[in-house]
Amino acid sequence: MSNDGSTMASLARSAASRELPGAARLSRRLGRGAIHLVVILLCAITLFPMLWMLSTSFKIPTEVFTRDIQILPRTPTLSNFPDAFQYFPVANWFWNSLFIAVVTTAGKLVISIPAAFAFARLRFRGDNFCFAVILGTMIVPAVVTYVPNYILVSRLDWINTSSGVIVPSLASCAFYIFLLRQYIRTMPQEIFDAAKIDGAKTWEILWHIVLPNIRPGVAVVAILSFLHSWNQYTWPLLVLDDMKSKTLALGMQVFASNSESAQLWGPMMATAVLATVPPLVLYAFAQKQIISTFVTSGMKG
Amino acid sequence: MTASHPIAAGAAVEAAAPARRRIWNRYRFWEAATPYLFVAPVLVVVGVFIYWPLIYSIYLSFFDWNFISPVKEFVGFANFVRLADDPRFHQALWGTLIYIVALVPAQVLLPLGLAQLLWPIRKSRAQGFYRVTLFSPTVISFSVAALLWLWIFHPLQGILNKVIFDAGFAKVNWLSNPNTAIWCVIVVSIWKTFGFNLLLYLAALEAVPTDYVEAASLDGASGWQMFRLIRFPLITPTFFFVLVTTVISVNDEVFGAINVMTDGGPFDRSSNIVYYLYEQGFRVFQIGSASAVSLLIFIGTAILTWVQFRYVERRVHYG
Repeated sequence: MSNDGSTMASLARSAASRELPGAARLSRRLGRGAIHLVVILLCAITLFPMLWMLSTSFKIPTEVFTRDIQILPRTPTLSNFPDAFQYFPVANWFWNSLFIAVVTTAGKLVISIPAAFAFARLRFRGDNFCFAVILGTMIVPAVVTYVPNYILVSRLDWINTSSGVIVPSLASCAFYIFLLRQYIRTMPQEIFDAAKIDGAKTWEILWHIVLPNIRPGVAVVAILSFLHSWNQYTWPLLVLDDMKSKTLALGMQVFASNSESAQLWGPMMATAVLATVPPLVLYAFAQKQIISTFVTSGMKG
Repeated sequence: MTASHPIAAGAAVEAAAPARRRIWNRYRFWEAATPYLFVAPVLVVVGVFIYWPLIYSIYLSFFDWNFISPVKEFVGFANFVRLADDPRFHQALWGTLIYIVALVPAQVLLPLGLAQLLWPIRKSRAQGFYRVTLFSPTVISFSVAALLWLWIFHPLQGILNKVIFDAGFAKVNWLSNPNTAIWCVIVVSIWKTFGFNLLLYLAALEAVPTDYVEAASLDGASGWQMFRLIRFPLITPTFFFVLVTTVISVNDEVFGAINVMTDGGPFDRSSNIVYYLYEQGFRVFQIGSASAVSLLIFIGTAILTWVQFRYVERRVHYG
């Protein structure tokens, strides 16, 4: 708009493209085709290790390493799964992963939702300070807290228990509070005013008005939190030392660190599949919802 | 109430006034307390498991303690001095720097480019498949990712060496070669993490108002101009968020891959400051020097974050 030359040029260009609609459309289509090609290549690179994991989990030992690359198992077998359960307490690992992820997620939601509501719609003395204290935790790397938290957890006799993993993990909920706060802020203020005039108490507004309206946001936060604790590695590694108390994510290291079991690619990959399928399925279902929650949150403090 | 005389009713109200005031006061009290009750649990948890450890780390870093002994011996700055003299710590610092220099651009810029690539074809039917696929490494555990790549980097039978050998080159001992081990960990973490930032960028692009884009395209903006002048400025808040969180988390994240793939070796060449802390605190139980390391990590992170807020945030466009 600032100089006429560019406007003229653009007019000329649009006139040109009007003259040659076929050619323009063709070049645009070719451009898109090239993009698809590049993206498909990237998808192949991304998927390859996981496809190999899946196929190896169904391979017999002699097929795991072959002269040429063999994507599909020639004689598929299911025996890797029961084998894995025999070498290590994989069933325990699975249940530990599930229990820790579910309880951590529930706990985070219970403490995050009321706080998010308070920061989104309630005014109280020190509200900004409290919010800053909570968001401030995002710049503290988790590793800084490990030594003192380990001392605390061992004093509480929580080593080798899921409580030892779950309770300290509740503290990393700042991002979820932020997301939920942004989500609650998209609700029109009139709803809250109307409820107040009708004499609703604050906790009633939370329970009857906020909660039913933020279900999609809560679902997204629940899934993100579940994925996070299911995949958590470092903190559980410190707390869960006993073989039976470990999680699937830690089990990978157990397989890899033992020179004998590091040769058992079939059972190892079967265990990896068990660790991968639940989060993958969960994400595939919630993909659209997660993106739209990020869109509403806007990431703008 | 309806049948009673107005005056009688008035008297009843008068008599009930103190009780009512009491109820009113109690209502006011609970209403005023509710916001605090809502935020209290989070504040307690955060205080006990994040801020208190931070303070306690400072305290512990001045003591010599092996975790079991009943006495902690005050040693002043000896832990810090020992770190300054420890070549393994120097190696870990060097590794930390390499991880930051290699991974921050890779995790911040690569997904940004990819988001630009995916954006023109967002209406294609394949888009859902692309998004799920490219994000899929993000939803698996770092240890699983490390295990999968362990096979790719396998010296004898791994696919990477197979391809290299078939192309006529010598096989490389990727994970036990001091020069390549750290790059293996870096490759795994790029593969594992680029999807999350990609998702954030795509969400940000979706929030860009279409009228800006249309106006620009009417003015004849080229694809690159459109990105540089319209889309990128509008998604700078996300860019900044990604940058800050990536700088904070890279060295934490790679721990899982280091632990499964290389154990920091060979000769600590793939170690970083987090792995060093893990060894000090939980392998040899030098609680004092582990606390000193965590203090240094915190200070380093705080400085890096401050620098970004000071010099990068100014350019962020909050629309």
